[in-house]
Amino acid sequence: METPGEQKLRHLFRPGALGRFETRNQVKYGACCVSNYNARDGFITPRELARVRVIAGTGCGIITNQGAYPDPLGEGKAYFRQVAIFDDKFLPQFETIARYIHDAGALAIQQILHAGRYGGIDLGYCIQPSVVPQTLPHFRPPRELDRDQIRAIVAQHADAARRAIRAGFDGTEVTSFMGYLLANFNSRFTNQRSDEYGGSIENRGRFMRELIDAVKQATPDSPMLIRLNAAELMDRWGGNSEEECFELMQQAVDCGVDMISVTVGWQEAPESSFGRDVTPGHWNYLSAKAKKLFPKTPIAFGNRLPDPVMADQCIRDGIFDYWEVCRPLLADPELIHKAREDRLNEVRPCIGSLNCLSRLFRDLPYTCTMNPVLGHEIEPEYTVTPAVAKKRIMVIGAGPAGMEAAITARKRGHEVTVFEKSDRIGGNLAAYAANDLARPQDLQSVVAYYQVMAAKLGIEIRLNTEANAKFMRSVLHQYDVCLVAAGARTDLGAFRYLEGANLLVDALDVAHGRIKPGRRVVMIGGGKIGLTIAETLAKAGHEVAVIEEDKRIAGDVMPTFKWRHTAWVDELGIRTLTSSHLVKVTAEGAAVKNVKGEETFLAADTVLVSSPRKPNHDLFHEFQWMVDELHGAGDALIARGLDAAIHEGYRMGVRI
Amino acid sequence: METAFGDLSAWQAMLDRHAELFSEMSAGSRVGFVSRAGSGITPGKHAAGLMAAPGAGDMMAWEHQGAGMHTRLESYAGFQDARVDLLFVAEDDALATLRESLNGEALALIKRLIRKGGIMFYVMKNKYQLQDAGYEEFLESLGLAFLGACR
Repeated sequence: METPGEQKLRHLFRPGALGRFETRNQVKYGACCVSNYNARDGFITPRELARVRVIAGTGCGIITNQGAYPDPLGEGKAYFRQVAIFDDKFLPQFETIARYIHDAGALAIQQILHAGRYGGIDLGYCIQPSVVPQTLPHFRPPRELDRDQIRAIVAQHADAARRAIRAGFDGTEVTSFMGYLLANFNSRFTNQRSDEYGGSIENRGRFMRELIDAVKQATPDSPMLIRLNAAELMDRWGGNSEEECFELMQQAVDCGVDMISVTVGWQEAPESSFGRDVTPGHWNYLSAKAKKLFPKTPIAFGNRLPDPVMADQCIRDGIFDYWEVCRPLLADPELIHKAREDRLNEVRPCIGSLNCLSRLFRDLPYTCTMNPVLGHEIEPEYTVTPAVAKKRIMVIGAGPAGMEAAITARKRGHEVTVFEKSDRIGGNLAAYAANDLARPQDLQSVVAYYQVMAAKLGIEIRLNTEANAKFMRSVLHQYDVCLVAAGARTDLGAFRYLEGANLLVDALDVAHGRIKPGRRVVMIGGGKIGLTIAETLAKAGHEVAVIEEDKRIAGDVMPTFKWRHTAWVDELGIRTLTSSHLVKVTAEGAAVKNVKGEETFLAADTVLVSSPRKPNHDLFHEFQWMVDELHGAGDALIARGLDAAIHEGYRMGVRI
Repeated sequence: METAFGDLSAWQAMLDRHAELFSEMSAGSRVGFVSRAGSGITPGKHAAGLMAAPGAGDMMAWEHQGAGMHTRLESYAGFQDARVDLLFVAEDDALATLRESLNGEALALIKRLIRKGGIMFYVMKNKYQLQDAGYEEFLESLGLAFLGACR
């Protein structure tokens, strides 16, 4: 019998086919990025197995296990703790993963990832079709492959595929995403060879065709999938045009691949392909084109497409056959189940912060802003279990830290009341979201999720209620636990001895819509809060200057998003004065001084302060002798941001 | 002789104004600037041009000599022989724009031109070598993080 969600999303939940296999639905878990949870020598760890077990249970029809490098030297190894599949010694853990996936009712696909231009992380060099220097300092100097090496790599891929099938996987996938070895051969940018592997598009595609042929010969009964760019976004650097990308897809189709996973962008491409500044559905036209050109080959697609409803419509409209989804399932592994049960409003949304990738490129295990459990699946301490002693908990502050703690604690059986001094939940996040130029809906969806879950779980929220000592006396002995999650505030006191300090305005008052600034604005603080508000004001026509004490702006911004702020600042004509501090405020503007001692006067109608921020510590001191247990979480402890708030809120909720 | 880079003393003055960006750099650190046309790098074949430059082009080198960056003109015969840590390949119109802004915010303009594709940018050393050579401040100022940019 169809569930309510299956009735609504009929196309997504109808059975599909891949090679000789049937799939229970049209959802493919994509091996979007590696976890970095594994051993340095390529062995899969218990931490990884615990994560994969959760992924296996996501309800997808196809699960693609994260990319493993196929060569013993590690020339194909891109990430610090990437898994390897070049030897039988790795088989036992792959067997376990295949079993997990099958036990959960999905088709198991193993991705083979030779990173080419982005590989050789332990070697100090990378291999490419031609010696094309790097454009990002993160990667290593190139060496050119000779014909023997090319043949060896093809053989290694075939061996890896054979090994994956022996481990119990149903098929394999070779990936070019996002600029890996396969892409390096295909692209005009990195393939400058003059032999049979370079030059014409026919020659550039030779490596791919040999690869497909070798893998298919090695695993004749198993489907072979391939991830190919429909757009490299490298045109400016001399990369392939979209037309050339589709010509290469045609070659793969002619070689008999069983599915094409359509992707967009290279790591070094100058524009985003799936960040928050890309509108969901933006790249669908590329998938639609692939589907039209290759109607008999299943097409999987999911670049910047986080919504199952949109995916269902795309399948209905013939834009693709399989919704390839990864990050939304990292944020909420129950996404597909919730969709099936028509509970999409309970989905913990992927906000595209790319915290996962930011950490990956710091050689750290990936984590998720929205899912504090990701990477900790193996630790019982992160599991929501019924509380042994049921407690009455008061949470001060309905921002992300407070709401996360409240929801988690309530799930464990505690009685929870949230006290919020404003007239809505979300705290400063709601105000920040309202000013976000990238896509306010992403951050607003976090607040909406908390609203839904609080209502569902029966968490009492008392708005317009400020928690102070007098209030605490009025509720004395009614609660066992107080969790202070009252966030941080702008520290205007830091300027109290400054001439004209009384003229300063809290930037958060502008963000919350409580104050309208004048036409000319000076913003003190070039961190994420100051920049976000400055950008919104500039876009609305205000003349804005940002003053930052540090050498650079955006110091507290996620690495993958820093460039976005600096680009907006540039595009919007926001003047920035770094290594500078405020020395005086007058009715006419602000005087600032740089590290060289040079003073500049900036004419302004309003001088806003977004930095420094001060954690709300006062409440800890006030409540210390008024409640049995007193805890804190998020910015109320140290002013940081959304990740810390959500993660600490969860950790408190799961422990109290 | 007039080159695509114009008056080198204007470039030198610009570098001197931004001396703090280069203050941590090791002596011998080198940055190269080539004009795409002058280097034989044709549109759509940037990398090919880099490798197979005919040798007729000029390169403006910025070399750290222990006390700041110094500009000089050298011949360019492909990146392998350029002995630079970073190589900028600029479109002619980008170079023209840059020449006109040397008295103003030239570095901000370079940053903008890289993003818009008017200047191509290649790194010849890895991030640890560049960090050790003191490039972090300069690269950050151009918006070129020490990270992959998967986004």
